[in-house]
Amino acid sequence: MIRFDNVSKRYTTGLDALTELSFEIEAGEMAFVTGHSGAGKSTLLKLVSLAERPTRGQVTVNHRELARVRRRGIPQHRRGIGMVFQDHRLLTDRSVFDNVALPLLIAGTSRTETAKRVRAALDKVGLLAREKASPLALSTGEQQRIGIARAIVAKPPLIIADEPTGNLDPQLSLEIMNLFAEFGAVGTTVLIASHDLLLLKRMQKRVLVLDHGRLVDDYHPPVKAA
Amino acid sequence: MSPQATPNRAPPAPKKGAEPRGPRAPLGERLAAWRDQHFYGLFSSLGRLAARPWSTGLTVLVLGFALALPLLFWLVFDNARELSGGLREAREVTAFLKPGLDARSAEACADELRRRADVAAVLLRTPEQGLAEFRQLSGFGEALDALQGNPLPSVLVVTPREATDVDEPPLVAALRADTRVDLVQYDAAWRRKLSGILHFGERVVAVVAALLALATLLVIGNTVRMDIQARSAEISVMQMIGASNGFVRRPFLYAGLWYGLLGAAFALLIVVAVELALAEPIGRLVDSYAHRFALHGIGLDAVAALVGASVLLGWCGAWIVTARHLAAGRPA
Repeated sequence: MIRFDNVSKRYTTGLDALTELSFEIEAGEMAFVTGHSGAGKSTLLKLVSLAERPTRGQVTVNHRELARVRRRGIPQHRRGIGMVFQDHRLLTDRSVFDNVALPLLIAGTSRTETAKRVRAALDKVGLLAREKASPLALSTGEQQRIGIARAIVAKPPLIIADEPTGNLDPQLSLEIMNLFAEFGAVGTTVLIASHDLLLLKRMQKRVLVLDHGRLVDDYHPPVKAA
Repeated sequence: MSPQATPNRAPPAPKKGAEPRGPRAPLGERLAAWRDQHFYGLFSSLGRLAARPWSTGLTVLVLGFALALPLLFWLVFDNARELSGGLREAREVTAFLKPGLDARSAEACADELRRRADVAAVLLRTPEQGLAEFRQLSGFGEALDALQGNPLPSVLVVTPREATDVDEPPLVAALRADTRVDLVQYDAAWRRKLSGILHFGERVVAVVAALLALATLLVIGNTVRMDIQARSAEISVMQMIGASNGFVRRPFLYAGLWYGLLGAAFALLIVVAVELALAEPIGRLVDSYAHRFALHGIGLDAVAALVGASVLLGWCGAWIVTARHLAAGRPA
């Protein structure tokens, strides 16, 4: 689903964010990216979502070389990715329902279909009852769940999340991560950047460890005996 | 990590399952979605304007004045042109004969003139006709009755064969030289000046209208630009979750359209108010012209032109600033 071939990214400031990075994540796999702050986690996700272009090397997402995606094709590319942000980035001037419906509105989904899918997504994150509320009226954990509902509502094959639990306490963080794990279990590829090592240990998933832009470890959890 | 494992997998089958996401939906559904997106842009932008009545109101006031000014200039100019139209046509030469001249001599004088090559027609107005006309137009009927004799001279109204721009054509010179003629009235120079003034006025109206149209464009553009800045976080979220430039731009374009529409409505209000305020004194002025000229207000075509131009300016202003913002906010 995601493949990096010798990818390097140097920002115009001269900072080498990523250096000769190569890895592959299979469809339906759930993986974490970790490392100290500034190790290149966010840059890696930005290359996947085409918020940045690599300086060298090739990024392939969903069988498509991103170098071939032109500027005009970027929105279409991003519609195939559910994105979750650390600060959830909900739009505070509209209701929970409208926030979750946004990707469908953008994609041009019919109204009845939109209502159905929004409710299904809200149900999945356990906040169906709050659809009319303003995001401001929700707790931080609930806001992040709404952010997740927005990411999954269009049923993208890939979900990427940048420090989705950065602002949450350990208990809530675990709940959120388990939510992501559920999507992984139904065939969605999930890639999460996080520096919460304790949490990653509990999740027992694949972990890519970055250090100063280089991949220093690619931990695969031991295969559980079925 | 198997770098060579994937290249020749099945060709891109990007859609998994039969989800109607993307361009595969039936035409009717896509049209409905397109309509929904436009309604969303139309009404979300209107709601946003309504949510900030003060700043929206101020912008609309500025736009209204900027649009009303050229319209008022144009109205004044248009009426002035109409008024002058009648005068411009009048290229006759009027010759007042000496008061003592009898009817027969006057007739002879007219006949002489009719024989000239550069004269198309000569109309003789006897003192009696002149008096009757004066009585009718001036309202001095009773005062005239008090007069013992008729003080008016015979008048020859001579229509030249061709209009000429010469200040003193030979015909006029001949009339002036004629001893039977008391006074020659010929206003070519004055009419040429008037024509020049009107031409100048036309140009002034055009220039003022162009400048104020530019101002309208800038006001709307700047307002939309501030709106964009206030919502840049929202725009970046929309872009991150796959909104196309068109989707991001649409609400702002509609905002520009609303500004244009509201500005035009306010401008019309101003124009109508000015018309009402000036109706009474202008009415008196028009009456003094003895109905040779009727004042006209703003017509339907002018209203349509105003609204059309204003909406177009709003849309263009918004388009320019959103294009700038979108170009700045995207990686290559």
